[in-house]
Amino acid sequence: MSSIAEASLNDLDGIRAPRFPRKPKGITGRSIAIIVFLSICAAFFCVPLYVIITTSFKTMDQIRQGDIFSLPAPFTIDAWWSAWDNACSGITCTGLKVGFFNSLAILFPSLVLSITLSAVTGYALALWNVRWAGGFLFVLFICAFVPFQIIMIPLIILSSGLKVYGTVWGIALVHAVLAMPILTLIFRNYYKGIPQEIMSAAMMDSGSFWRIFREIILPMSGNILIVVLILQITSIWNDFLLGLTFGGLGTQPMSVVLANVVITTTGVAAYNENMAAALETAIPPLVIYFVLGRFFVQGITAGAIKG
Amino acid sequence: MAIRWSRWSPQFALAPAVAITVVAFIGAIVWTIWLSFTASKRFPDYTLQADIWKQYTRLFKDAGWQIALKNLLILGVGSFLAIVFGFILAALIDREKRGEGIFRTIFLYPLAVSLIVTGIAWRWMFNPSFGVQHFLHSIGLTGLNFDWLSKGETAMYGIILATVWQGSGFYMALMLSGLKSINSEIWSAAKLDGVSFWRLYAEIIIPMMKFTFLTCAILLSLGVVKAYDIVVAMTNGGPGQATWVPAYFTINAYWVKSNLGYASAAAVIMLLITSAIFLPLVLLTAWRERSREARA
Repeated sequence: MSSIAEASLNDLDGIRAPRFPRKPKGITGRSIAIIVFLSICAAFFCVPLYVIITTSFKTMDQIRQGDIFSLPAPFTIDAWWSAWDNACSGITCTGLKVGFFNSLAILFPSLVLSITLSAVTGYALALWNVRWAGGFLFVLFICAFVPFQIIMIPLIILSSGLKVYGTVWGIALVHAVLAMPILTLIFRNYYKGIPQEIMSAAMMDSGSFWRIFREIILPMSGNILIVVLILQITSIWNDFLLGLTFGGLGTQPMSVVLANVVITTTGVAAYNENMAAALETAIPPLVIYFVLGRFFVQGITAGAIKG
Repeated sequence: MAIRWSRWSPQFALAPAVAITVVAFIGAIVWTIWLSFTASKRFPDYTLQADIWKQYTRLFKDAGWQIALKNLLILGVGSFLAIVFGFILAALIDREKRGEGIFRTIFLYPLAVSLIVTGIAWRWMFNPSFGVQHFLHSIGLTGLNFDWLSKGETAMYGIILATVWQGSGFYMALMLSGLKSINSEIWSAAKLDGVSFWRLYAEIIIPMMKFTFLTCAILLSLGVVKAYDIVVAMTNGGPGQATWVPAYFTINAYWVKSNLGYASAAAVIMLLITSAIFLPLVLLTAWRERSREARA
């Protein structure tokens, strides 16, 4: 802070800046105003996170004193453990751990299915001469934005017919189906950028659809695979509606268990346990965000606007 | 690329995606539309009703549905704050490059948090006995009221606040990439001409970013129609029916009322609303494509 103040002082009383500075240096008053404003906004963005973190480490006695912004004293991790191990939703008191493992069991098959399917589809649409590709892409573009409710009931009926309704496999399958249009569009846009010469050379060489995909295209898709992977991991992990609709007793993903623990509690609410539960659910995507932020941002913007 | 013997492989590879599109999307939509014309209760019954519009006439007389539509409008208008806020943040970050990385990271992190967790966090802050309200009163600001969720008139504003908190970063990211694509000569030209800060934005930058703004507006509207998780997490529709939205209404009609036909009718209206928003997006994409070609 002191260096900022110093710099601004220099700017005020010292050397006059040239009329048309090539490269404005030092900090102006406007810069300080902007940084202060942005910092206030940043503080506002951090308040909820601060509150849930501190609340999760407090005792219920301290919470009842009613100072939501105080630091935990005494500091305890009991709430974290009980949220994980024995928090109650309804009459079952098995905590979030069941949901955590269900979420993992949903995540893996669903990632493999959705990414394989959309990568191959995107590749075929982008680099091969399929006459109806344009029309199909348009249909996919529309499908990507359809509200879930309009296809919910038929999907429930269909998945019951396939005997996967209420299982983690069913949830994973529905995730893969629903993600297919948007992921295909993302892959297709990426593959469209591959130079024509590479494809022509590959054609001369083997001309086999699957060989070109395996030996040339796949090694070139490292970047887009990471972006899509992160997009899918966070959206599957954070999903609530699909898990709620297609999950049965004991197969619900973590977010649904969390909602059950926090929202449908009767009797005295354990706020510290609730906040610990919320944080435990939020940690995996947050870790991905803070570690791989660049890819995360690319993923969500690609997922939202490309098409 | 007319190599004969590999002509069928791409078509074959596309078969699963086509099957999914035809069955799970197109087929399912037609299926739901059909169901909305029937009197299906708990289980599907495919005989059409004598008056096929019966579910719809009932729907629009339903007080809960009227509330849901009204709330959709409120949420839509309120959430536009996220775009405005996102643009302001993006413009400031873009102008003052210092700390760009840190600010971006902070403004975007809520996006990695699910709406259920967001809702739970804000619901706790809105808690009347131990939340922010209590804190404000304890430091003497007894006139302030932050107990929004427990009253029907203010509960939607609580949901809007949480939505804006979660979504602003996303619009900031979109705006920031829009701003960065603006030719840097424009900034220096404006500086040389002595164009004022406000005029520069109002008359040059914002008109140049009209595509970005439109895209943001459409994406936001599509998201608002889908809003469900945040409502469940914050109010679960309450108090009473005060925070019902169409997505909530539809799920409720299916799971709580076990009324398949009725839920289908509500879902069809949701689809119509989405299409009404979506059509401009299609036109926008076409327009953009055309202007890009015109430039090339």
